[in-house]
Amino acid sequence: MNLQFVLMQLFNGLILGSLYVLLALGLSIIFGMLGIINFAHGAFFMLGAYAAYTITAYVIPDFWLALVCVPVLMAIFGAFCEMVLFRRLYELPSLYIMLLTFGLMLVLQDAVRLLFGSMGVPFSTPKSLTGMVNLGFMYYPSYRLFLIVVTSLTACAVWLFLSKTKLGCIIRAGTDNPKMLEALGIDISKTMTLVVGLGAGLAGLAGVLAAPIQNVRPLMGMDLLVDCFVVVVIGGMGSLGGSVVGGLIVGQIIAIGVMVWPPMANTLIYFFMAAFLLVRPRGLFGREAFHE
Amino acid sequence: MERKCYAILTICLLSIAFFLLVNAPAVAEPLKISVLTDMSGPYAGITGANVEAAKMAIADFGGKVLGEPVEFVYRDHMCKPDVANQKAKELYEKEQVDVIFDCPNSAAGLAVANQAKIHKKLFINVGSGTTRLTGPDCNRYTFKWAYNDYMLATAVGLWAAENLGKKWYTITADYAWGHDLLHHFSEALKAKGGTLLGNEMVALGTSDFSPYIIKAMNAKPDVLVLLNAGKDAVNSTKQANEFGLKNKLKIIHALMFIEDIKASGDVFAGDYVTGAWYWKSDNPGSKEFVEKWKKQFNKPPNWMNAATYSAVTQYLKAVERAKTKDALPVVKALEGHEFRDLLANPGKIRAEDHMEVGNAYILKAKQPGEIKEDWDFFEVVGIIPPGKAYQDPKETGCKMEKTE
Repeated sequence: MNLQFVLMQLFNGLILGSLYVLLALGLSIIFGMLGIINFAHGAFFMLGAYAAYTITAYVIPDFWLALVCVPVLMAIFGAFCEMVLFRRLYELPSLYIMLLTFGLMLVLQDAVRLLFGSMGVPFSTPKSLTGMVNLGFMYYPSYRLFLIVVTSLTACAVWLFLSKTKLGCIIRAGTDNPKMLEALGIDISKTMTLVVGLGAGLAGLAGVLAAPIQNVRPLMGMDLLVDCFVVVVIGGMGSLGGSVVGGLIVGQIIAIGVMVWPPMANTLIYFFMAAFLLVRPRGLFGREAFHE
Repeated sequence: MERKCYAILTICLLSIAFFLLVNAPAVAEPLKISVLTDMSGPYAGITGANVEAAKMAIADFGGKVLGEPVEFVYRDHMCKPDVANQKAKELYEKEQVDVIFDCPNSAAGLAVANQAKIHKKLFINVGSGTTRLTGPDCNRYTFKWAYNDYMLATAVGLWAAENLGKKWYTITADYAWGHDLLHHFSEALKAKGGTLLGNEMVALGTSDFSPYIIKAMNAKPDVLVLLNAGKDAVNSTKQANEFGLKNKLKIIHALMFIEDIKASGDVFAGDYVTGAWYWKSDNPGSKEFVEKWKKQFNKPPNWMNAATYSAVTQYLKAVERAKTKDALPVVKALEGHEFRDLLANPGKIRAEDHMEVGNAYILKAKQPGEIKEDWDFFEVVGIIPPGKAYQDPKETGCKMEKTE
């Protein structure tokens, strides 16, 4: 095992981790605000990839356009789901919304299967980002570097939005205690729409970014979703910083696992999660309120 | 006196007629054919249309055999062995079918073969690749059509070792199918005097193949063998392209269909794979079959569909030769039979292990610029005769019982 291989593998872990971060951020803010695990999140991710395919294959063959449009479209779609579907069930125990999101996932997956077939659709790396870059100590695919840059910029933007703007402040407050927020006279239903929209938009962005390096097919979200639950649990339910750190940790665990013991690479994260929860039941930055 | 004679004669004739009527065999049950396949699981995109292929074969045969119309039913096993087992039982017992066709997924195929043995009814497998069906687990009522894992690995393996290079690196999906293929590929390579530089076992459904790709790249092989299928094949090849591997080496795959290429664009361009048939083939009846299929489905058939069509047609012909739909006479009519049809030219159903063998084709995926017609994704670059592509029946480990 040479140094170059280890470095490359750490970079790969970073890529995987940054996709997890985008998804887990959305999962986490939705969890905080609505108090539910959004099972449809993987389907949002998959829809993002398919939307990018539809735009590049049928409208304008431009990856950059898709990169900008798809998150916006997905955010609108997420907001629409909240207003038409989720909202009707807030009065009922949260199990009902969870079931609803589970059903929504199945409906979206099968709808895509009907429209595009179960085999998946082609998606290539944008022309300007094919090839490798010489980093001095190794050659690395330029698209992957681009992916790291975009995800870290996005994570920063989301963090700035949540910590510096008034709207972000309301969301953070809502994540903490929605009832109190409502008592303070803030229209919480609009905030909820916004939160689901933001989550879906981030998932959509992850979908576009993953499309060139993964097989675009109806079930692509399922594989990532389960890992993302692990990320959210390790990071601490409802904690945004936790999602970022958790995502990067899980990405690196998988990458290092592949180097050390390949057959166990995918299972390792569950062992880590179990061990971690024994030591720290509420995850990295989770708050007591959610568990006790 | 004369009148008495007439009376006796009439009584005799009437009683003979009566006996004939009573003892006449009950009106013959029509022949019932069934297809059990994956229509909603992971292979649905490839094998789902086998139902249509069987229907088409029956219609092209005239819809009748031995003067009776042929009935047809199908079931979806969703790629689950337990479901396949249950449905096969139902088909043989409740639906009273005479034969089950297809059944992808090796575990499912083995389960159905066992049901066929219990019920003493035919099972003609197209979809599953395991060599056990015609090896240790063979039985008198089970046949295997068109391909198996040995053929997939050996045909392209022998060809690649001769034409592409003798230094190989393999990336293997870590489950029974992958291990089996790895074994057959290494045997083929050894037979040609090549060396395997290394192998990576990768968990099924891994989304990031880049570490394995980098390891393979550092070993500098002539040929990278990807022993996986479906989304794993797409993911691993996409990532190999990212790292620019195709400028340095050739990639060969274990299993790939025209639908895989359609679904992934130029990812596989320049790669090699074994196929049992290609839709541009000029075997007898092939062009007509493809024309009819294209008219109905707006796309050409894959080789699984063609194999199902061939299997159903050859079965119906065997029923005609046997002059009965009873299982054992039909089995005997199939055993050792040689034929030429759209799939196999020539084809033979080996009596020793019930494997239907034909030529294996080495297919090369075309570059996007070379594709002149939609769906014409492959170029046939080599043909391996059945004697080389399939294991010698003496070595398969099949002990065919002689039920009379």
